[in-house]
Amino acid sequence: MTRRAAPVLACVGLLAVWQIASLALESDSFPTALEAIRTIPDILGDKESLINILASLRRMTIGFGIAVLVSIPLGLSMGRSRAVAAFFNPLLMVVYPVPKAALMPIIMLWLGVGDITKTLVIFLGVSLPVIYHSFEGAKAVEEKMLWSGAAMGLSPLQRLVRIVLPAALPEILTGCRTGLVLALITMITSEMIARQSGAGNILFNALDMGQYDTVYAMIIIVGAMGICLDAAFERIRARLVRWSEPQFDMPLSFS
Amino acid sequence: MKVVPSRSSEWVRPVTSQRPASTIIGIDRVSQVFQTSTRKDHVALSDISLTIDEGAFVSILGPSGCGKSTLLYIVGGFVSPTRGTARMKGQPITGPGPDRGPVFQEFALFPWKTVLGNVMYGPRQQGVRATEAEAQSRMLIQMVGLKGYENFYPKELSGGMKQRVALARTLAYHPEVLLMDEPFGALDAHTRTRLQNDLLNIWERDRKTVLFVTHSVDEAVFLSDKVVMMSKSPGRIREVIDIDLPRPRRRNELLLDPRYQKYVVEIERMFDESDEVGSAS
Repeated sequence: MTRRAAPVLACVGLLAVWQIASLALESDSFPTALEAIRTIPDILGDKESLINILASLRRMTIGFGIAVLVSIPLGLSMGRSRAVAAFFNPLLMVVYPVPKAALMPIIMLWLGVGDITKTLVIFLGVSLPVIYHSFEGAKAVEEKMLWSGAAMGLSPLQRLVRIVLPAALPEILTGCRTGLVLALITMITSEMIARQSGAGNILFNALDMGQYDTVYAMIIIVGAMGICLDAAFERIRARLVRWSEPQFDMPLSFS
Repeated sequence: MKVVPSRSSEWVRPVTSQRPASTIIGIDRVSQVFQTSTRKDHVALSDISLTIDEGAFVSILGPSGCGKSTLLYIVGGFVSPTRGTARMKGQPITGPGPDRGPVFQEFALFPWKTVLGNVMYGPRQQGVRATEAEAQSRMLIQMVGLKGYENFYPKELSGGMKQRVALARTLAYHPEVLLMDEPFGALDAHTRTRLQNDLLNIWERDRKTVLFVTHSVDEAVFLSDKVVMMSKSPGRIREVIDIDLPRPRRRNELLLDPRYQKYVVEIERMFDESDEVGSAS
């Protein structure tokens, strides 16, 4: 009971502090929590806004999905093959510390300001943590486990799919969870840079026009999206890797 | 070729095997050289020749670092020797195969599979139908004493239970040779004794060929028909000793048997000698 109530209480507490701070400061650019919350139904009820938000979600889903589908096999292969790791490692080392949003102007020059550019930026943001965690997970797979599989007659490819993949799954899903949050971040960032549609577009347009209620309401909406996605993902993750979880665990999510 | 003298002449000849034994594994002048991090060559195995008869329980006994596990991995096909060849039924070993089933000290179970899932894995890979594989696996799980634990995950089991699952998982795909790499090395003394007894009981049913790596003299003498003693740096075969003790062996009887005690004392004495030689050089 307290476990379920705790995150709700934390949210209520945060809103309360916001409300009091805003009342104390009396600034035009800092609406109260209640004002911001009251604006949410207006945004969600507006067809134009809804189309924008759904477009964001679609790009995020596609970017995240393709990134996961490409990164897991790549990371696992890197973890099990020195040659593959030697080839891709330097490449990733160069891309890793570069903020993906910083690449956007270049990508925009090539691919325009449309969906492809934004989805590509999300893809880049999600790929690296998923590759890294898949790589680490595959590297840590016990050699003897693979030998046991080989003795049963599993081919190298079968061992990669049927032993390395499940054995590394807890680590892979940790990477995916980081990737999911990064997908949300890169989604908003990309829409901030190439304003055309999306949740980030609503937010920054409202900022330009001084509609601070809408700005804060959008922050709440995006935040809530993040929390819901993370909670949903955490549920799926927990189901998939129940076999690896310690008996008692500190939940670090809202699921 | 250096022929390793067998001590068997000093002991009474074995009477246990009725049928004429045929060679199942032949190791011919095998050497294994590893390159260490300092780029120096480390000779793990030097010129090892050994034949193992079908249906024999053979232990490879030696101090840590004598290359006894490496020898087992070569027979398993997990490691290729630097020189020489290992043969299984006359065919050179080029890789792992279901005719040689390993059981490792680290258990190496598939943690995402239940006990039943682990044991069924091999038969399913060999194309056995699911219902049939399940029935066989359940019987094996019962045989290793884990009835009731079919749906447990490895993390929920103790070390001894994990090793029982590992044994059942390997037996499930009917290897002709069991390759056991210090299988009871990570277990406490009590569990170890119980697993030794159970292994012997299971082995006495179908008398599969077993190659068993250990550093425990008691364990080697208690289980084996033949003990291959190795010395280290470089790893060589020092002595091959036939253990002529009646089967089925019962631990409580054997510990009181002067012949058993003589084997243990004799082998320990030989190891002490080699240690002195080692420390003097």
